[in-house]
Amino acid sequence: MPAVLTVDPRSGVPIYQQIVEQIKRSAALGVLQNGEQLPTVKQLALDLTVNPNTVARAYRDLERDGVIETAPGRGSFVKGDGAATATKAAASDVTRRAVETSVREAKAMGLTREDVRRLIDAVLDRWFPEER
Amino acid sequence: MNLTISHLSKRYGTFVAVNDLSVEIPSGTIFGLLGPNGAGKTTTFKCMLGLAASSGGSVTYDGKPLAPALFERMVYLPERDVLYDWMRVSEVVEMNERAFTRFKRGRAYELLAMFGIDRNKRVRSLSKGMKTAVAVANAFAHEADLLVLDEPTSGLDPVNQRHVLNLMVNEAARGATVLFSSHQIGQVERAAERIAVLDRGRLALEGAIDDLKADRKIVEAIFPSEQFSLNGLANDKRVGRIDRSGRIVRVTALDGAPEIAAQLEAAGGTGVRIIDLNLEDIFLYAVAPASAHAGVVEGS
Repeated sequence: MPAVLTVDPRSGVPIYQQIVEQIKRSAALGVLQNGEQLPTVKQLALDLTVNPNTVARAYRDLERDGVIETAPGRGSFVKGDGAATATKAAASDVTRRAVETSVREAKAMGLTREDVRRLIDAVLDRWFPEER
Repeated sequence: MNLTISHLSKRYGTFVAVNDLSVEIPSGTIFGLLGPNGAGKTTTFKCMLGLAASSGGSVTYDGKPLAPALFERMVYLPERDVLYDWMRVSEVVEMNERAFTRFKRGRAYELLAMFGIDRNKRVRSLSKGMKTAVAVANAFAHEADLLVLDEPTSGLDPVNQRHVLNLMVNEAARGATVLFSSHQIGQVERAAERIAVLDRGRLALEGAIDDLKADRKIVEAIFPSEQFSLNGLANDKRVGRIDRSGRIVRVTALDGAPEIAAQLEAAGGTGVRIIDLNLEDIFLYAVAPASAHAGVVEGS
């Protein structure tokens, strides 16, 4: 796997969650391909200098969410079947969080629902021009 | 190796260095012990290892009390190195090899090379940081089931500090239990899975770092005027403390931040934000004077 993962231990976001989100994002973007093998828990723990139980916890969450599967003795792999659904779900997850944060901030700064809707529409128009 | 500290106390005359400390350290965990200077971290280590007689309580290893046979399976790195000044580094390694059956000379040499230490040098010619590195290299060559490391990175440069953290990760990955103390919260935050915070001999906080971060948040809200009521939030068990400064209120939530945010909104607060806390914030809160936790703190 390419060395795409980094964690920020000083962040308030738990490290296992940072790992889960980055692997989901990598799978959604195709940086991690279907069936691709992930590093072992020990290897990733050493690469990131975080404790192995944290990596193991992230892998368990990813398995539960259907993004990866673990074959005993062989390692962990990006799930082949249903990976499209899993990655789409992952993309939705990441996007929902980003939108949530933006909307909350916008509201906190005093924008109205209508103001926010206009801003979001403008962004959608820019990125999905064909579906206007 | 599973480690259980149960109601451990240590008194020196009238001074209580460790006060009724109970902590469970599961096998294969990297466990960080944090605390201000004089909080009782080193004393706890010494009591655990039989280097100081405890005044009460017990420490068990896989359920059994400390016994000579266990010393082969554990290693202790004291805060100050205890190397003989007149020895060559290679002689320190040889001494360890003779004293401990599990000690691996090859591994020690490998680690010394990683730290950039010339093993033909005499200990007395080494800098403080290099002496720490020699002690660390020897400690990690034991293939121990339990490593007790008191400030294992003190005096090391950032590159060698990272080496030490990676060695700890490596030991945990092969199933060893690693208990270490550090003043460098960033290192603990990176490498440890669980922490305990000691404050004046007492356990101030204990838990998995990721869980503490997921639960503990600051919820901030702005009210239209300086006169506002928080609907009994001050008595809520999930609220650690409330700071008010004019129209702004900041609630330290120990749990349930989203519900507390909703409550602040219901009370008329606007611009409600939930702010993540890092380990340093959580640590400073845990060792803050008790008076700072009591109910509402009025700001200026």
